[in-house]
Amino acid sequence: MNQAKIEKLVSRLRYNVGSKPRKLKNVDGPEGRLRKIKKTLTAVIKYERIELNYARADETRGYVERLISEALRHGPEHGETMELANFWIKEKQLVHKLFKVLVPRYQNYTTSFTKLHNAPCIYPGYAYKRAILELKGNIYPTVEQSNPHQHNLLHNILLDAARKEYRMEKYKEIAANMNF
Amino acid sequence: MTMVSRLWCRKARQNLAFAKVLGKEPKTFSTLVQLKTDEATDNNNDSQAQTNDELIKSPSLGNYRLVYPEFLPDPNPLYRNSIREKLERMDMLNRRSVLSIPEFYVGSILAVTYSDPHAVGKINKFVGICILREGCGLRSSFLLRNVVNGEGVEVRYDLYDPAIQNIDCLRLEKRLDDELLYLRDAPLEYSTFPFDMEIEAKISESVPVNDIKIPLNPLPWSQRWERLNLKGVKEIVVNERRQKKAAALAKPWEKYDLMKTYRETIPEEEQNEIFSDVYTKLNELEIQKNILKRKYMLQRQNSSKTRTS
Repeated sequence: MNQAKIEKLVSRLRYNVGSKPRKLKNVDGPEGRLRKIKKTLTAVIKYERIELNYARADETRGYVERLISEALRHGPEHGETMELANFWIKEKQLVHKLFKVLVPRYQNYTTSFTKLHNAPCIYPGYAYKRAILELKGNIYPTVEQSNPHQHNLLHNILLDAARKEYRMEKYKEIAANMNF
Repeated sequence: MTMVSRLWCRKARQNLAFAKVLGKEPKTFSTLVQLKTDEATDNNNDSQAQTNDELIKSPSLGNYRLVYPEFLPDPNPLYRNSIREKLERMDMLNRRSVLSIPEFYVGSILAVTYSDPHAVGKINKFVGICILREGCGLRSSFLLRNVVNGEGVEVRYDLYDPAIQNIDCLRLEKRLDDELLYLRDAPLEYSTFPFDMEIEAKISESVPVNDIKIPLNPLPWSQRWERLNLKGVKEIVVNERRQKKAAALAKPWEKYDLMKTYRETIPEEEQNEIFSDVYTKLNELEIQKNILKRKYMLQRQNSSKTRTS
């Protein structure tokens, strides 16, 4: 049983954080792991939606969320946050994007700032699961597509008709019970 | 170290001088019993109460995490259990309502009175510097270090051990490091504290940081201190091989690892939930503790005055 570290205050992340960090296979160990995440994080902030292997996407997601929440918490005047942004974001013009575009966008969010979708493994595919990682509130059309012909499906037509019939019966009943 | 403590004592005395002057008034009705005069001073002298309030201030909800770190659970989700945590918190509050546990940090000097069946009078008192605080909940503990008969002695106490009869914080201060385990390899004078030390008056609201730098003994050491990036140690001299190894094993990127810091701490929202749960009870206890401390200070002032006159 360890004591929680208390010198730094952090905001709670609004997605289910895994209990252990993934190692992300590489030759340099933990340093190389951060280097890989740095690349992905920069790409996410730049393109706002990317497709990649699931493990790396899930691992990067936490870092993106944490960086944005730190920027929201402290703002650009805070030296430590600026140092963090400088370390994590490889292209320096994106540091401006973080503080001037993303922070105002996520000011009033009550949900997580990113979204992780499972992506299909297109034939012949490869061993690793694929995923789509995106920043919420981006300009692209949604990844999740609803069926535009949903209301034309037979069971939905039948259900609609049943609902209508029930409603009409209720109206009739109410009209019959009314006394003037 | 001794110099610093001496300076500290003098400062404390100077600051207490005005409190002494105010303390003269109750002497006019000196036939009363000691305790009653104290109550009278508490009721009558508003100005005195104010000065004492300045001396002793209860912590606000913002810094509860620093004052009561053991109320926060282990951040590892494997060990989390909300019901157990709640029950433990209730038990801790119950224990605190019986035994007043003072605010202390690593680097503070504590006196612990412990019931020991083998000691003379079945009571054992140990004074020492707190060099480590660990664990959370009912299992939280602290490690005291002092020198007895020229030998370094360390005693680990569980904070909520029912055998503890009294805990006093003799000197409230912090050091530059979170753990002072390197005192084991430092000259003994740096971990020597007299067993008849008295409680020093708290002067400022914020806890003072003692920025003393301690030299280490020559090798061999109990740990490779050169690898730990210690702030409270004078420059560490090791051979080139060890320097190279320390440089190779340094992890300068660790402070940027955002998820690592997140997984090692409890988020602010959760901390607020926990502390708002225990706030009313802790605040009550804090007020009681302050009153007791004030009484103790007054008693000591009066007794010293009678001794001098």
